[in-house]
Amino acid sequence: MAKVTKEQVYDALRTVIDPEVGFNLVDLGLIYDVDIDDENKVHIKMTLSTRGCPLHQMMQQWVKDAVERIPDVKSVTVEIVWDPPWNISMASDVVKKALGAM
Amino acid sequence: MFHVSKEFAPPLGLIVPFFISGVFFYVLSCIALLFYTPHFSHLELSVAGWVHLFMVGYVMMIIFGAMAQLVPVVLETGHFSVDWYYIIFPVLLIGVIGLIAGFWLDPILLSFGGLLVLVAMVIFAVDVFLTIAKTQLATPTVKAIKLSNIFLLLGILSGFAMALALSGFWSVDIEDFVHAHVWAVVGGYVLMSVYGITLVLLPMFGLAHGFSEAPIRRAIPTLAAAVSLVYVGALFGWRFVEGLGIFAGFVSVAFYAQQISLIYKTRVRKELDIWYRSMLFGYASFAVAVAVGALGVLFGAQQVIYAAIWALFMFFAFLINGHLYKIIPFLVWFHRFSDLVGKQRVPMLHEMYPKKQALYQFWMSAVGAALVFLGLLFHSDALFKAGGSFMLVGAIFLATSVMWMIRYR
Repeated sequence: MAKVTKEQVYDALRTVIDPEVGFNLVDLGLIYDVDIDDENKVHIKMTLSTRGCPLHQMMQQWVKDAVERIPDVKSVTVEIVWDPPWNISMASDVVKKALGAM
Repeated sequence: MFHVSKEFAPPLGLIVPFFISGVFFYVLSCIALLFYTPHFSHLELSVAGWVHLFMVGYVMMIIFGAMAQLVPVVLETGHFSVDWYYIIFPVLLIGVIGLIAGFWLDPILLSFGGLLVLVAMVIFAVDVFLTIAKTQLATPTVKAIKLSNIFLLLGILSGFAMALALSGFWSVDIEDFVHAHVWAVVGGYVLMSVYGITLVLLPMFGLAHGFSEAPIRRAIPTLAAAVSLVYVGALFGWRFVEGLGIFAGFVSVAFYAQQISLIYKTRVRKELDIWYRSMLFGYASFAVAVAVGALGVLFGAQQVIYAAIWALFMFFAFLINGHLYKIIPFLVWFHRFSDLVGKQRVPMLHEMYPKKQALYQFWMSAVGAALVFLGLLFHSDALFKAGGSFMLVGAIFLATSVMWMIRYR
C-alpha cells in the first residue's frame, strides 16, 4: 500500500467545482486542512462561502467521492467548520481576478 | 448511497408551477397596463384589480415559490412540511383568478377569491412558523421572516374584510382599510421579507463578508413599528398615529439603505451579470420611490405618490426577476445535473440562463419602468403607453427566458 500524499488529495479536490462561482474548492480557499494518517485515512477540514449554502450536504459528498477515487485511500471524513469564516483573501489570485476582487 | 437532500432543495416540480404562473401573471399585468391611462384613483376597482394581479399574482406567487427554496437556506433547516406547497399552489392560483375576476368582472367573486388566497397564505404562514420553531437561529433574517408572516396574516385579514364589504356581505370604511391593508402587505410582508432575505442573498451572490448588521437590526423593528402604527392608526381613524407610522417607515428604509450600502462596499464579486444589473436598477428604483414618495406625502400630491408606488413595484420586479436567473438555474442544476458531478462534465450555473434574452428583458423592462414612471408623474398618456409597451416586450423576454431555463438539459 503506497502512502497517499497531500498533493494527491489536493489534486482530487481540484476536480470539485462550485457550480455557482465556477471554481474548484481548492482555488476558492474552502479547504482548510488535509490530514492523512498512517493507514491512509483522510480527514478534510473545509468551509463553505455561505452558511446556508443549499449545496452544503452535496458538496461534502463530492469531496468524499473525489478523494475516495485516489488509489489506496482507506476512508475519507469531511468536517465542515465555520471558524475562521471564509473570505476572499483565502482564494487564489486567479479566482480573485476573475471575480473582480483584484 | 447518497441521496439528494430534499431539505435544502425542494423538488423542481413543486416550485416550477409557482414561477410559471407568477411570470404568466406578470405578462398579463403588462398587457393590462396598456388598457389604463395615468388618470385614475387608487379606489377604483379596476385599478385594485391590476394591483392585485401584479402584487398577488406575480409578486406573492413568485415569493411563495421562492420561499419553498429560500426558507431552508435562510433558516438553515428544512421545512416543517414542504409538501404543503402542493396544496398552497392550486389554492393560491384559483384564489388569485377569483380575486382578479372579482375586481374586474363581478365583486361577488372577491369574497370567494379572497377566502382562497387567505387559506393559501395561512397554510404558508403556518409552515414558516413551524419551520422557524425548528431552528435555534436568532438572526435578523429569522426575525424579519417571523414578523413578515404576522403582517401577512394581518394584511390578508384586512383585505378579506374589504372583500366581504365589496361583495356586499359586510360594511367597513374602504379608504381606511385600504391604508391598513397596503401597509401590512406591501410594507409588513413584502418589504420585511425583502429586508430579511436580501441580507442573506446579496452577500451570498456578491460574496460579501465581514460587514456590520447593525443597520438592519434597527431597520427591522422600525419597520415593524411603522406598519403597526399605520395599521392601527388607519383602522381607528387616528391620523396622527398613521402619520407617525409613515415617518417611521421612511426612517426604517434609511437604515435598510445603509445596510445595503455596507453589503455593496464589502462584496468581492463584481461581475456585471444579469443579477447584478437587476439589483442595481431595482435599488435605484427603490431610492426613487422613497425620495419621490416623501415629496408626495409632504405636499399631499396624489399623482406623485402613484409614481412613487410604481417605482416601489419596479423595485420588487427587478429584485424578483434578477433572482429568477439565479434560483431557476440552481434548481434545474440540482435536479438534473448534481448526480452527474464527478462522472461527466456538468454545466456551471451561469451557463444555464439565456444571456442575450435576459439582457433584452432587462433593458426593455428598465426603459418601460422609467417611461411609465414619467407618464404617471407628468400625467402623460403617451409616455405611459410607451412604457407599458416596453414593459410588455420585456415581460415576453422574461417568460421565454424562464421557459428556456426550466427546459435546460
